Amino acid sequence: MRSGSLARQAWILARNDLRQESRDLELVLTAGFFSLVVLVMFGLSFSALDRHAQVLAIPGVLWLAVAFVGALTLTRIFDREREADTLRALLVAPVERQAIYLGKAAVTLLVLVGCNAILVPGLVFLFPAAAPMAERPLETLALVVLGCLAYTSVGTLFAAGLASSSGKNVLLSVILYPLTTPALLLAVVATRALLEGHPLFLTYLGQLAAIDVVTLALSVWLFESVLVGADASARRRSAAGPRR
Amino acid sequence: MARLLPTVFLIVAALVFPYSVDRIFLHTPIEREMGTAQKIFYFHVPLAWLMMAFAVTSGIAAVVQLRRASVRAEATSLAAAELVLLTGLGVLITGPIWGHATWGHAWTWDARQVTTGLLWLVFAAYVLVRRYGAAGSDRLAAALAIFGAVDVPIIYYAVRIWNTTHPGNRVVATLPAEMWNSLWPALIALTLVSVALLLVRLRQELTDIALDEAWILFNERDGHEQQHS
Repeated sequence: MRSGSLARQAWILARNDLRQESRDLELVLTAGFFSLVVLVMFGLSFSALDRHAQVLAIPGVLWLAVAFVGALTLTRIFDREREADTLRALLVAPVERQAIYLGKAAVTLLVLVGCNAILVPGLVFLFPAAAPMAERPLETLALVVLGCLAYTSVGTLFAAGLASSSGKNVLLSVILYPLTTPALLLAVVATRALLEGHPLFLTYLGQLAAIDVVTLALSVWLFESVLVGADASARRRSAAGPRR
Repeated sequence: MARLLPTVFLIVAALVFPYSVDRIFLHTPIEREMGTAQKIFYFHVPLAWLMMAFAVTSGIAAVVQLRRASVRAEATSLAAAELVLLTGLGVLITGPIWGHATWGHAWTWDARQVTTGLLWLVFAAYVLVRRYGAAGSDRLAAALAIFGAVDVPIIYYAVRIWNTTHPGNRVVATLPAEMWNSLWPALIALTLVSVALLLVRLRQELTDIALDEAWILFNERDGHEQQHS
């Protein structure tokens, strides 16, 4: 029996993860520190660039950092479930499977947006060309949320799939980077438009939102099939391993 | 009869391909702006179409695999994904050769070049997950194929969405009749070879799955016999 609406179930699951996180702050501290380290490394690499070159480099720095931190966050979020073997418990709990996806995606999104609270001010501090990000905070926030949502929506699906199939974590990066690159590419283009004050910035933002809608809808639709499936093939594959 | 289909396709392709080469190089006028380098178009465009068709096939088969637990769909999805890699490699080799002759640069970071490269990477990831993934990763790979198929329209419309140096989508539609007529034999020959390879890989994969099933059955019977003795 399913209890409550999908949004309510997702909120309860996300709140549970956030409560767990508030006790040890493991994700926040490790992802935050990692963001800082990546920022310093990029800062050292690109400190000599002139202002024009900075405009080209900053979007790449921002979204590459998001991609790296995102993979770390997603791996850790589902490692917790795997270590405690609670993903199985979640799957048999009386909640919609999509609520599990939405709950995990919400927590990942929150962590990624939180990391951007370090990355964006850091970029503004390190690179003079990043000043428009501070001057247009609402546009920057919209860009960060939409870009991180595209990454999170795809990442949560595949990280959950790998966790449930006891897969190797290295495959997450193999899957995630090619799949999220179109969205990250658009985020890079939009960030550059923001820095240059380009009139097409809002158009790029709209296209990013469209990609978000497609990836989110597809991930919600596929989540149950990827995690539990209606097939005997998993059994076949696991049992047939030693033949080769 | 079905077993003979790949052989029949390959024989027909072996006949059509020399005719196509003869027609392209000796009986089709040289394009005014791009010169002889434009001849690569007759191989590049069919390979790009086939790549997209196989990506969509792999994605649709993956949906059927996930929804109906179909072994045949699973094998089709994998075989089509491998052909995306093969035809994609053709596109990614012929494209830069054409680009170097036409634009002066083999790789211009053009939107369609990038998205075609990404599509190839997505299906390379699919094959890696199928090859090295743990138990249950076939479903994960299926989701990857579906995302890859969704990427196809993004590739097609990338030219319109982003500024690009790549020839527009209307180039093929506005071809002169003699160039169209030379495109068809090349398309038919390459399609026949690709479909023959798809059928061969499909049969191999189905045999592999049947062997897996037989192995499980053998192990289960062995286990039962040991319990009883």
